[in-house]
Amino acid sequence: MEKKGRDAIIERFRHIAENTPEYVRSLKEKGRLSAGYMCTHVPEEILYAAGIVPLRILTSHESQAMTRGYIHETYCSFSHDCAYQGLKGDYDHLDLIVTSSSCIHMGEAFNVWVRFAGFQDKSYLMQYPHIIHTKPAGGFMAESFKQFKEFVEKLTKRSVTDNDLEEAIKVYNHNRRLLKRLWEFLRHDRPPITGPEVAAVTLASQVMDKKECNGMLEQLIERLEAEPGQAAPGVRLMVTGGACDDLGLFDLMEHLRYDTSIIFIDSCTAARYFWFEVPEGRHDKLEALAEGYIGKIPCPAKDTVPGTGEKKRFRFVQQFIEDFKPDGVIFLYQRFCSPQPMDVVALKPIVDKLGIPSTELELDTTVPKAQFQTQLEALVEIIKGVTP
Amino acid sequence: MAYNITTWGDVKNYQTNCYRNYLFAPGGLRCMGSTWSPLAPLKGLGDDIHVIGGEPHSASAAGTVPAECREDIIAAETGGLGFHSCSYLKLFVGEVIRDKIAITDKTIKDGYPRPDVIWTTHLCSQHSKWYQEVSRRLGGVPMYAIDMIGGGNAEKDPKIVNYVSDQIEAGIEWLQRVTGREFSDELFVKAVRNEIKVLVLWGNICALNMHSPAPLDERRLIALFPPAVVDRTTDESVRIYEKLLKEVKHMVENGESVAPDQRFRIVYFGIAHTYGHPEMARILRDVGAEIVASVYTFGTCGNFKGIVNGKWTWEPIDPAWVDELDLSTRRKAITELSKIVLGWPTWQGVRSYWALEEMAKAMVTEYKADGLLLAPSRSCETDFRNGYIAMQRIFKNQIPTIEYDTDQVDVRKMDLPGAQRKTELFVHLMEAHKKGGA
Repeated sequence: MEKKGRDAIIERFRHIAENTPEYVRSLKEKGRLSAGYMCTHVPEEILYAAGIVPLRILTSHESQAMTRGYIHETYCSFSHDCAYQGLKGDYDHLDLIVTSSSCIHMGEAFNVWVRFAGFQDKSYLMQYPHIIHTKPAGGFMAESFKQFKEFVEKLTKRSVTDNDLEEAIKVYNHNRRLLKRLWEFLRHDRPPITGPEVAAVTLASQVMDKKECNGMLEQLIERLEAEPGQAAPGVRLMVTGGACDDLGLFDLMEHLRYDTSIIFIDSCTAARYFWFEVPEGRHDKLEALAEGYIGKIPCPAKDTVPGTGEKKRFRFVQQFIEDFKPDGVIFLYQRFCSPQPMDVVALKPIVDKLGIPSTELELDTTVPKAQFQTQLEALVEIIKGVTP
Repeated sequence: MAYNITTWGDVKNYQTNCYRNYLFAPGGLRCMGSTWSPLAPLKGLGDDIHVIGGEPHSASAAGTVPAECREDIIAAETGGLGFHSCSYLKLFVGEVIRDKIAITDKTIKDGYPRPDVIWTTHLCSQHSKWYQEVSRRLGGVPMYAIDMIGGGNAEKDPKIVNYVSDQIEAGIEWLQRVTGREFSDELFVKAVRNEIKVLVLWGNICALNMHSPAPLDERRLIALFPPAVVDRTTDESVRIYEKLLKEVKHMVENGESVAPDQRFRIVYFGIAHTYGHPEMARILRDVGAEIVASVYTFGTCGNFKGIVNGKWTWEPIDPAWVDELDLSTRRKAITELSKIVLGWPTWQGVRSYWALEEMAKAMVTEYKADGLLLAPSRSCETDFRNGYIAMQRIFKNQIPTIEYDTDQVDVRKMDLPGAQRKTELFVHLMEAHKKGGA
């Protein structure tokens, strides 16, 4: 039976999130230029201002051995899977692949695309600070953005004006505000949308033309605002950690032996992607972009406050805990990832101190469902005080 | 007959004294951080600065008291650090957790000496996180990490040089604030010149291995570079390397070597595993195969000409160039320091595959390699692991190449029998290649 209303919109989002190459091909058929990017520290606004649709390279979770011949096995499965997307040729329609210097693993995935997947002449590596909180970082970023803008202008053979940039900033900020409104539903006692659905929409937003995405988001939010909540949320679970685009895992979190709801996901494939804004109406658009991107919830790979060594992300995590009131926290990270697990060591005592039970899930290309289910149910039992 | 390096005693004493000072000096300022940090700014704070660098300390402790260090690694893992995390990091944090520290004269001191400041760098994804964890475990130590943006040819990119220089300049202000000490530009400039001089001198010593026979082998290179990594800012460190350069030049002039039987010359990419696993070096030694060049021993604390006219060269920089450097203002001294540190070969490949490959190609050519040995370190995510597999593809039709996994200090991660078999095969391949058969 054909789905209608909210369900149809959510299904469309999920389909795009899980079939990105198909979406890229559709852009090509419409005559649009598109650029893949590897890390969310790429200022998409610059590409968008030049008429290019930026799309995040996401993974397919296929068990494969191809990338072992290009990247060391001890790089995270997310980087392997992203490299695989290039090697298997599904993204040949892209006009450009770009990344900013971020974690080493994703840098290697990018290198594979450039060296072995046919992107040698259509790639760009942007210099981006590894520590975003230093005073000189803003100027350095603005300069890097300027170089990137010049590259994009050369590629598209058109100049990118301040008006183009301002327009792109507004479109992107609008998208961020809409996504934020969507996530705010999860704070309710009876939310009209589930955590996995919100995660799917957020993921799709990373691979879509933002104007199209905004239109769909507006329709969805309008419908959700008119709807009553669907069910009592059960045990409220918050996820915090690294990149995870495996929507099946989020489905699993809400399909345990107990009623559970995902009420927040702090990761670069979820809230960290959009939980910031770029100042509008500024004279210097590139400086505005730098300011906006510095204000992001930091990736653990870039999070060191000079002078104290503080991890700024923890402030956000604590704020999210206060606002979204989870009963339990799930630390999620990719196997072989360096910075994420290093943060867990320091974050877990903070969560413990707040009296919130937690568990850790280590991700690989495919998810061991039965094992994770047992682990998650054990967490819920701890929360509910179930006696064995 | 194998030559015995006479400067060795000076090197060993210097290294041990640095560590003993950090452990036992009654006063002064204790500073901790990555050895890949520009150290001279610390020396602007006085004559009583005692430094301990993460990587060299972990490496030398593991070589000196391996059983103790295995306990450190296990303690770190029990404390929550992942099995796959950097093992230098885990060993270091493990000492903090166990509240004891081991140094190169086999002293094991109970009570971890708390640093006054952490002055470090950030390049790989764990570099500054290492000291965030140390700081947290010690209840909060003031910490300043410099973002070394890196990438091929970084030292020649004014944007990057300015960025790093700005951070160092702000860092000097910070150092004054947190230590309450006045910064002496005179001491700083002196330390900058020494730091640059040592890095250039070490580059010159390594470059002498282009000769045949190469005067130094890998194990000797590893043993001789500690002063340059532990504290390269002192007059004494300059004196040691000037003496060593003179001695190694003399060896070349007389055709001498610490390992004179050199039928096969090997270029090596990887961290110093032959030190922790001498049995690997022995397989090579028994057939007259020696590692004569490696990015790790050359490039961790040595500078070379680098990219000239678009191509990498391992040619050394004239030490006299250092004496001519204009360090007349703080900013000028900072800029030169930034350039030299950014120019380290080990930085280049971390963020730039093409620089890594250019370095490998140049090393194979300039050091006349008969074989390329790639031994990526399982827990080091920088250029000691990335790009290796791609490099096999590049060299597969040129010279015999093998790869096996190692780890810098965690012996659990080394498949020793497998690596030995591969190394034996490698030797056969080089033999056959020399005869025109492979």
